[in-house]
Amino acid sequence: MTYTPKYRASRRSVLKGSGAAFIGLTMLPRFAMSAEEKKLNFYNWDTYIGETTLADFNKASGIEVKMDLYADNAELFAKLKEGNPGYDVIIPTNDYVERMIAAGMLDTLDSSKIPNLSNVADAFKDATFDPGRKHSVPYMWGTLGIGYRKSKVKDASSWKAVLEENENSGRISLLGDGESVIGVALQYLGHSFNSVVPAEMKAAEELLIAGKKGVKVYADDNGQDLLASGEVDLAMEWNGDIIQVMGEDDDLSYSVPGEGSLLWQDCVCIPKGAPHPDNAHAFINYLLDADAGALIADTIQYATANAAAKAKMDATYTGNPGIFPPDEVIAKCEASLYSEEKTKLRNESWTRIQAA
Amino acid sequence: MAKRKSTRGPLEYGKSPWLILFGIVTFIVLYAPIAQLIAFSFNDSKRNIVWRGFTTKYYAKAWNDASLVEAFVNSITIAVMCTVIATIIGTATALWLWRFRFPAKAAVEGVMALPIVIPEICMGVAVLVLYSRVGHWMRGFESGPIHWWNELFSIWPLNLGAITAAHVAFSFPFVAVVVRSRLAGFNREYEEASKDLGASEWQTFWNVVLPFMMPGVIAGALLSFTLSLDDFVITFFTAGPETNTFPVKVYSLVRRGVSPDINAASTVLIIITLVATIIAMRMQAPQKSEG
Amino acid sequence: MESWKQNKAVFWVTALPGVVWLLLFFLIPLALIWGMSFGEKTSIVDIEITGTLANYLRSFEAVYVKIIWKSIWISVISTAVCLAIAYPIAFGICFSPARWRPLLLLLVILPFWINLLIRTYALIAVFRTRGTLNFTLEWLWDLAFLDKLVGPYQPLELLYNNGAVIVGMVYVFMPFMVLPLYATIERLDRSYLEASLDLGASQWRTFFSVTVPLTMPGIVSGIILVFIPMLGMFLVPDLLGGTNAIMIGNVITDQFKAANDWPFGAALSFLLMYVTFAALAVRAFIGSRMKGGVGV
Repeated sequence: MTYTPKYRASRRSVLKGSGAAFIGLTMLPRFAMSAEEKKLNFYNWDTYIGETTLADFNKASGIEVKMDLYADNAELFAKLKEGNPGYDVIIPTNDYVERMIAAGMLDTLDSSKIPNLSNVADAFKDATFDPGRKHSVPYMWGTLGIGYRKSKVKDASSWKAVLEENENSGRISLLGDGESVIGVALQYLGHSFNSVVPAEMKAAEELLIAGKKGVKVYADDNGQDLLASGEVDLAMEWNGDIIQVMGEDDDLSYSVPGEGSLLWQDCVCIPKGAPHPDNAHAFINYLLDADAGALIADTIQYATANAAAKAKMDATYTGNPGIFPPDEVIAKCEASLYSEEKTKLRNESWTRIQAA
Repeated sequence: MAKRKSTRGPLEYGKSPWLILFGIVTFIVLYAPIAQLIAFSFNDSKRNIVWRGFTTKYYAKAWNDASLVEAFVNSITIAVMCTVIATIIGTATALWLWRFRFPAKAAVEGVMALPIVIPEICMGVAVLVLYSRVGHWMRGFESGPIHWWNELFSIWPLNLGAITAAHVAFSFPFVAVVVRSRLAGFNREYEEASKDLGASEWQTFWNVVLPFMMPGVIAGALLSFTLSLDDFVITFFTAGPETNTFPVKVYSLVRRGVSPDINAASTVLIIITLVATIIAMRMQAPQKSEG
Repeated sequence: MESWKQNKAVFWVTALPGVVWLLLFFLIPLALIWGMSFGEKTSIVDIEITGTLANYLRSFEAVYVKIIWKSIWISVISTAVCLAIAYPIAFGICFSPARWRPLLLLLVILPFWINLLIRTYALIAVFRTRGTLNFTLEWLWDLAFLDKLVGPYQPLELLYNNGAVIVGMVYVFMPFMVLPLYATIERLDRSYLEASLDLGASQWRTFFSVTVPLTMPGIVSGIILVFIPMLGMFLVPDLLGGTNAIMIGNVITDQFKAANDWPFGAALSFLLMYVTFAALAVRAFIGSRMKGGVGV
């Protein structure tokens, strides 16, 4: 028996092994892209377009749409901040539309190329965050609320159900987005979602720190998954996400708490430096088409801002209070307003809450 | 010798039942989640919690998702290019630091360790800033004498060059660390003997030093392949619509829960790697006796 | 070790590739960010480098110190667990029959060719309340008639706490520990071990007095390769951690994303780097004093 190390055999074998693995892997079919002009790069949220919308648009116009996904507005903003890497169409939320306009990151839209603008519901024809709708076209809107399991939760009509300790403690998830969570805590305390008053902010922070005992996790926009998998019984989430899982599980429900909530609106925009602006306009026009809009609304179950599309939908959609809340609920909701100061204060506070 | 199992030599740790048991348990823990992932890729349910029947439809769905396949191919291409370059550069760097004394060496060593030390997100942003500056500057040449340069780098796989360069930058120091820790045990008298016997610098390197450090080089290459294939943060900031990689694609898809088609795509990746590896090992099996 | 003047050609051939690459694709971009850490935001997108130290001073606020401290202890525990598992594995592979070694090494690495996020989600699927582990335990519980004797099985809450973060870290970083250990243990001169055993030392004594010191370079490399990336990790605490899982990596990421405060994010990153850098320098200094240097 000898302990002489036998370098050659074993070493070569691994080298060759990995070498062959590399070759094998690179032999895969390569889906090369030609430099054709009939292309469009669409940067979108996940599960936020109709099942066949992109293929239908391709059939109608010959333009091939390539869709990439982002998980939140901050990610979209970070990626475009230093220059557009090649996206033509993006869908930021209202406060980020405002922020991106202020930063000069959005192109002006040519309304003559978007005849379907006439399909937009009257309430959305103008917007405070984009006066005159020069840079944005409304896509979907909705609320922030509580998704819950009916058999386990008695009362989800107040933010108390998720913000304070109660019998469901330990089975609650909040969003991981500090700005929204703090905003909602402010509303629960009777203040404005957008408040930057130090005393009010401090009270909200204390409320959230005290409430941490009951919260299992700050979820990254996957509260609906945690809810559906039984990990939590109450989840602070966006309405459409909960309504999508409600279709699979009858025991789930959604409520917008009585203290009011966040009312948001996602908009279609063209970022500065878009390589295919004409295709982008054609695509935006297509999204506003009545049939295409109805198909999208049917898939994603968010409230459409497209009146012609809404008219084509049946009552299970238009009559769903989770999608179209009653006016008195909407009256209590607020839109998030953009301010760098608010962003800074909220983020600092959110860090303190998580570290507490 | 194989028959005498009961009489274990004092150094035959490979036969220690405790070590074997420990190894088996570790491998089970390592592979259980992956086995489950593979099983769920055949599960006829979107939620992946309980078994609802066998299906292969998610494989068809993953295969038909052109952007997923493209990201997949991009990732592997980048990882291969990165591994080759990073292994060569990393090995050279290891040799350099191991062999030579020179002024400010400690400082150089420290700088070489920086890519290991730096938080990924910071490097991601740094590379983003660099590339956007270079991009602005290059766009100035749109019509100038080097306008072909921009076009050249929009052709596959050269358009992956920017991402690959960043991957090499953070992975070659890892290779250098591993190779150098291997070289620390090298007896330099062998090298001197080789040169005394008339071998050139290159011959000595090729026949004496390289075979000795080969395990380190391979370990380093595997490490850089793994790092590149798995990198999300740095790639996220450098990838554009044409240069998405698998992790970036997956990241955007799993944030709202893993869908079975992602499980299917991962399973395919595991199987391709496994099959290619096994074939490669079979192919070189006859040479075993020579060692 | 020879002086660089003795063989300038080889010196430059080995030096230049790494130095040039590092300069172009790492040091220059890093310098841009380093400059930023002394800057201030003047508008949403513009940052002016004013030479201010405000960003660094802000890093010493109690909340950030607390988070850094937490990141350190989580990383220390995770690294220790990693080492405790990886050492026997690397050792076992090195002492296994030669034809098994490449296969075993590949078995260690293979899981890591699956995307980090997918692996982490696979862990979640195992550990969650209605996950495989709880289902298996419930099945065993019922099998032992404990449901009749004690009552129905209560699922374990395994996710969303610090333990889950540590498990996730170990799971993610294992190969970075195994590979350097393998590379050093493999070249271990076994005659030293034989000598130690022949001279009457026990297996354990031989292990701690001979094997461990001889494989120290591998251990140190492994610790560096694992501990430092763990410090800056943000995905694992994000996905597996509970409400107080925040680590310094998450704070840094937040600065570059949601908070849009790149100067502060840059300052925090560099603070983390200065600390690690100082530690490495101290180690290199001690190492060179002791025995000609093991080096990074």
